[in-house]
Amino acid sequence: MQTRCVLTLSVLGLCLATPRIGGAETEPSIAPEAVEFFETRIRPVLVERCYECHSANAKEVQGGLMLDNRAAIERGGESGKALIGDDAKASRLLVAMRYNDESLQMPPTGKLPDKVISDFERWVNIGAPDPRDGPVPPPPNSIEARARKHWAFTPPQLPETPAVEDTNLVATDIDRFVWARLRQSDLTPSLPADAHTRVRRLYGDLIGLPPTFEVTQAFKAEPSAAAYEKLVDRLLDSEHFGERWARHWLDVARFGDTKGYVFQEDRNYPHAYRYRDWVIQALNDDLPYDQFLQYQLAADRLVDDSNRAHLAAMGFLTLGRRFLNNTHDLIDDRIDVVFRGTMALTVGCTRCHDHKYDPLSMQDYYSSYGVFLSSREQQDDGLPLRLVDKDKPVNVRIFVRGNPSNRGEVAPRQFLSFFQSGEVKPFASGSGRLELAEAITSRSNPLTARVFVNRVWAHLFGEGLVRTPSDFGLRSDPPAHQALLDHLAVTFMEDGWSIKRLIRRIVLSSTYQQQSESRADAAAKDPENLLLWRANRRRLDFEAMRDSLLSVSGTLDSTVLGPSVRIDVADPSKRRTLYAFIDRQNLPGIFRTFDFASPDTHSPKRPNTTVPQQALYLMNNRLAQSIAEAMVSRLTGQVKTAAKIRQFYRFVYAREPTEEELAVGTNFIEASDGSDADSSIRDPWQFGYGSFAAGSDEAVTFHPLPHFTGDAWQGGPDRPDPKLGWVILNAKGGHAGDDESHSAIRRWTAAEEGTVIVSGKLEHPSEHGDGVRSRIVAARGGVLGEWTAKQQTLDTRTEPVKVQPGDTIDFITDCRTNQSHDTFHWSATIRMAKPKRREWKSETGFHGPLPELLDVWARYAQTLLLTNEFMFLD
Amino acid sequence: MTSDFLSRRELLSRCGMGIGSLALAQLATGPSADAAANNPLLPKQPHFPAIAKHVIHLFMNGGPSHVDTFDPKPELQARGGEKLSDGNLKTERPTGELYPSPYSFQKYGESGIEVSEIFSHVGECVDDLAIVRSMHADVPNHEPSLLLMNCGEARQIRPSFGSWLTYGLGTENQNLPAFVAMCPGGYPIQESQNWQAGFLPGIYQGTYIDTKHTQIEKLIANIKNTRVSRAHQRQQLDLLAKLNQRHLEQRQNDAQLEARIQSFELAYRMQMEATDAFDVSGEPQHILDMYGPGTQARQTLIARRLVERGVRFVQVWHGNGQPWDSHDDIEVNHRRLAKQCDQAIAALIKDLKQRGLLNETLILWGGEFGRTPVVELPKKGSNQGKINGRDHNHWGFTTWMAGGGVKGGHVHGATDEFGFKAVENRVHVHDLHATMLRQLGFDHEKLTYRYAGRDFRLTDVHGTVVHDLIA
Repeated sequence: MQTRCVLTLSVLGLCLATPRIGGAETEPSIAPEAVEFFETRIRPVLVERCYECHSANAKEVQGGLMLDNRAAIERGGESGKALIGDDAKASRLLVAMRYNDESLQMPPTGKLPDKVISDFERWVNIGAPDPRDGPVPPPPNSIEARARKHWAFTPPQLPETPAVEDTNLVATDIDRFVWARLRQSDLTPSLPADAHTRVRRLYGDLIGLPPTFEVTQAFKAEPSAAAYEKLVDRLLDSEHFGERWARHWLDVARFGDTKGYVFQEDRNYPHAYRYRDWVIQALNDDLPYDQFLQYQLAADRLVDDSNRAHLAAMGFLTLGRRFLNNTHDLIDDRIDVVFRGTMALTVGCTRCHDHKYDPLSMQDYYSSYGVFLSSREQQDDGLPLRLVDKDKPVNVRIFVRGNPSNRGEVAPRQFLSFFQSGEVKPFASGSGRLELAEAITSRSNPLTARVFVNRVWAHLFGEGLVRTPSDFGLRSDPPAHQALLDHLAVTFMEDGWSIKRLIRRIVLSSTYQQQSESRADAAAKDPENLLLWRANRRRLDFEAMRDSLLSVSGTLDSTVLGPSVRIDVADPSKRRTLYAFIDRQNLPGIFRTFDFASPDTHSPKRPNTTVPQQALYLMNNRLAQSIAEAMVSRLTGQVKTAAKIRQFYRFVYAREPTEEELAVGTNFIEASDGSDADSSIRDPWQFGYGSFAAGSDEAVTFHPLPHFTGDAWQGGPDRPDPKLGWVILNAKGGHAGDDESHSAIRRWTAAEEGTVIVSGKLEHPSEHGDGVRSRIVAARGGVLGEWTAKQQTLDTRTEPVKVQPGDTIDFITDCRTNQSHDTFHWSATIRMAKPKRREWKSETGFHGPLPELLDVWARYAQTLLLTNEFMFLD
Repeated sequence: MTSDFLSRRELLSRCGMGIGSLALAQLATGPSADAAANNPLLPKQPHFPAIAKHVIHLFMNGGPSHVDTFDPKPELQARGGEKLSDGNLKTERPTGELYPSPYSFQKYGESGIEVSEIFSHVGECVDDLAIVRSMHADVPNHEPSLLLMNCGEARQIRPSFGSWLTYGLGTENQNLPAFVAMCPGGYPIQESQNWQAGFLPGIYQGTYIDTKHTQIEKLIANIKNTRVSRAHQRQQLDLLAKLNQRHLEQRQNDAQLEARIQSFELAYRMQMEATDAFDVSGEPQHILDMYGPGTQARQTLIARRLVERGVRFVQVWHGNGQPWDSHDDIEVNHRRLAKQCDQAIAALIKDLKQRGLLNETLILWGGEFGRTPVVELPKKGSNQGKINGRDHNHWGFTTWMAGGGVKGGHVHGATDEFGFKAVENRVHVHDLHATMLRQLGFDHEKLTYRYAGRDFRLTDVHGTVVHDLIA
């Protein structure tokens, strides 16, 4: 009876015990004799005869039964309880040991001695006293057991810095970690890149803009470690640093200026840019990363009147898609961006079921869900939407299989249970968002610092140490440089979470400054460069590309901060690309073409594709052309070809051309000379006035009309023009001029050889006047037709006529005897049947002034901008 | 095109540009394996030999009424004006009594399948159609149903069918976009999400083409250069090849550098090929006549031209907004809409057939859902004062496929006696997707992409191949 009470108490004690793992065990309240009996008669048998298959340390647990401690035995296995109260007869454990039941005999190798069995019977009969406290241990190979050993889930400890024999190339501790690891694999680091490459790399990585010729020259003149360090500090101090690195964070934050699909409401987030500004500012001010995150999750609880500007940080949560304001999807988006963004955990997977690979459950999802459901949105003037705690926070029941109308257990608002050190504690303050932010930025959080330093590393090396930057779960590959990652994470935290100093440490390393050239021997051993035996050659991303184009042409508007601008319109902004308006619903093709991060959800890393649409943009887009022209106009005081080429090389590559490059350039310029006139790409239609004189050699005199109103060509801004009178041409027709020498002439020029037929309709709509006379005159073939239209519509069809390239066909309309009421409509179609079917329509072919052709220098400048040298950082 | 290559080579030899021609010689033999790694659009092999290589999705957005097109219902005709004894299924808006089809149906072809008078041209091709009369979706609203039909998921961001397909198969013609979505006059509702790449790389996104336009530069971005002649551009690219080649020689071979060198030559060719592909004016008159007049005809003909040139997935939307959404005046509206596309669709089937392309091209016709057999009741602000239209119906509707190895002259499944709900051999949108992927060579459960910690697929955790539809 006494022992029974002891057992009851101990079971009760278990229920009340904290489920702390590895914590101090509570004093067992079991009679000493019972303990001794267990220790001498029971435990040795369990260890020697049972644990092989029934312990958390077994290779595989059989039947789900573990005998490691009281709780485990109490729970039993897949077939049910192992012990039934103090009834030794009925307990499965004893049934198995007695070998009476053929289907249940343990241990399988043979029945235990009767003495042992009777010890166990006695033990069970006295209530199975068991001093082994603690919760049921995770079974081996369970997610939890593996998670406990997972490299990313234990807090990083500062690893010892390895000793390196050859300190020749060692600049920082980072190099010691990398060199030591390389040596293990029988690899050696690469030599430092040349001065020019290092300057370009630094500029690209730290501010996303190319260096000027003057900067590279100065550094090349004195490429010392001190000069390099000075350059690093100057760039970290540049306000463009925040711009470059803000964009990296905006990828994480799935930033956009619009709400995604909406039905009728305004689709814009008018104040989204204030969040971007906040990020830029925070990075430029080197706001510690822990605070950087805290403001973004819970600025509402952290600001007072002195620092209200930090409220803009909450755009991180609120500037995602709106999902037609569906609460579940809005919260899902926020849970995803928070946990993948900061801790590289795919908590979003647990919306409908427990995580298949990671120690995350639906309880975790809905405890976070409760946090966001207990927050409401508030609009402040001029700021992005922010969250504030609701007066009455709520806990939700989990949605069984993600279905909101099928509720399961309550999920109290709390942090991810696996990642709580010590007792699992529900959030107590408001919605719990602030506590969530604190848990994420806690020094004991194993992921936050690792995840962030890995992101930074990826931006500086092209690939992260961990190659799945937003999934550090059990399925992620461990980093080749785990010690280095931990070193970076710990020093980052110890250094006050300073982002700038983290970047500084990395770029000052020799590892970062290596050449990017491949070496056959090393490539054979480590083709992916996982071990960092060289730097990686990287193509400029979309922002760096466009910004560099603007920069080398001298047309970049380098204003920092401010509202979003349009870059995909006729007159695009010249501001840095990071300020481009991001319409997440209909993202302009140019963004996708250049691998921009999708603003729909958090983006772990950008794809890296090479497709012809990218080339087409650079070859044909207005931007590339205007930039080439701007470069030409940047040429100063140079007349000689070689001197001009030299200047272009300084602009584009920040270096001098080689003799060979000079020769190739000169060749290009000279070979093109005099061949600028080429009409084949021009539209075949021209709009002018003049006269027709039958019989003479030059039958048609043609002068282009000088003024375009936006939809019509005419003599000048006024109608009638004081000099040229009433002559007008528009898409549909026009107005005849005041006399025969001011006839309206629409001219078509053949680009290829063939036979054409002209058809069309001529209409004189007015009830007044004497109508108009129209003729079609071919350079080869003379007058093809003549019609006079007065308040009527006529068919204007011709016989087939042969044309050679350059031949004209003119559509001439005059006023007959007086020019009043001489508006006419004349839509004509020129059809070519042979050798190829083609047609040209006067109406759709109508156009305003065509842009000027690029001259040979602009074409040369454009070509330099297309090169791999410009687009890649070695 | 040939002459351009010749003149380029001539030019090169005349100028003694040894380096440039070396690079170009490489290009002529096709991309090297290394360089291919960077181009995710190169052709790839599916799981098993595919029957269909291309898809043309004729999207009747807004939701065409099945009981007025491909699912004749004698009981509905006979019992017009009656109330359903069990009440109406819940759809988006209030509905009333049975509303017979205003059109007559007629048997076509050897199969004798009945088709509505408004699709009489398509009726002529009925022996090529596998008609699914037992489709069903999840909800009676446009937005989620469009996304379900296109992306296999109603709300969350997921890649569209075309994106999955180009991800899985690449494309046969690098000079044209792999996945083209044509819609005249602007976007359908839900806009470019209908052809989104979702979490797949952006390059798999559909290229939207507003087929209201006829000028190539308005159809494809940056396809034309208005300020540099082709001859001059050729000179530029020759200079570029030379500079890039020198740059490459100074570095160890690097696939990404090579790939980018190639991309300029591809782009150069694309300018000509794309211009040609979208220009139907070169088609012979009898083909133009076959497709008929109007925008639908032109874009349907373009679809054929694209598929012919190796484009993987072509979506042909009827028009911006939701044209088939006939909540009222259905008789006039459906007749008008069908008239716009009926002839062209039939022409497409016949034309592909006569070119031997029908078997390798899977055509899908349909909307995001169908319409109710019962009349929609008038509602203030929408169909006020009118009792002559039908509401959305996700419970049962019709799609059909042609080509791509599906069973021609075949009807699969059935709706109830009035056409309200699919009751026999029901086919969910996921099943349709699984079946289409099967015809394209994919096990729909194995065409996956790892994202956010798990392997995603078009059919999520659903989908069963409907073998009865396969020839």
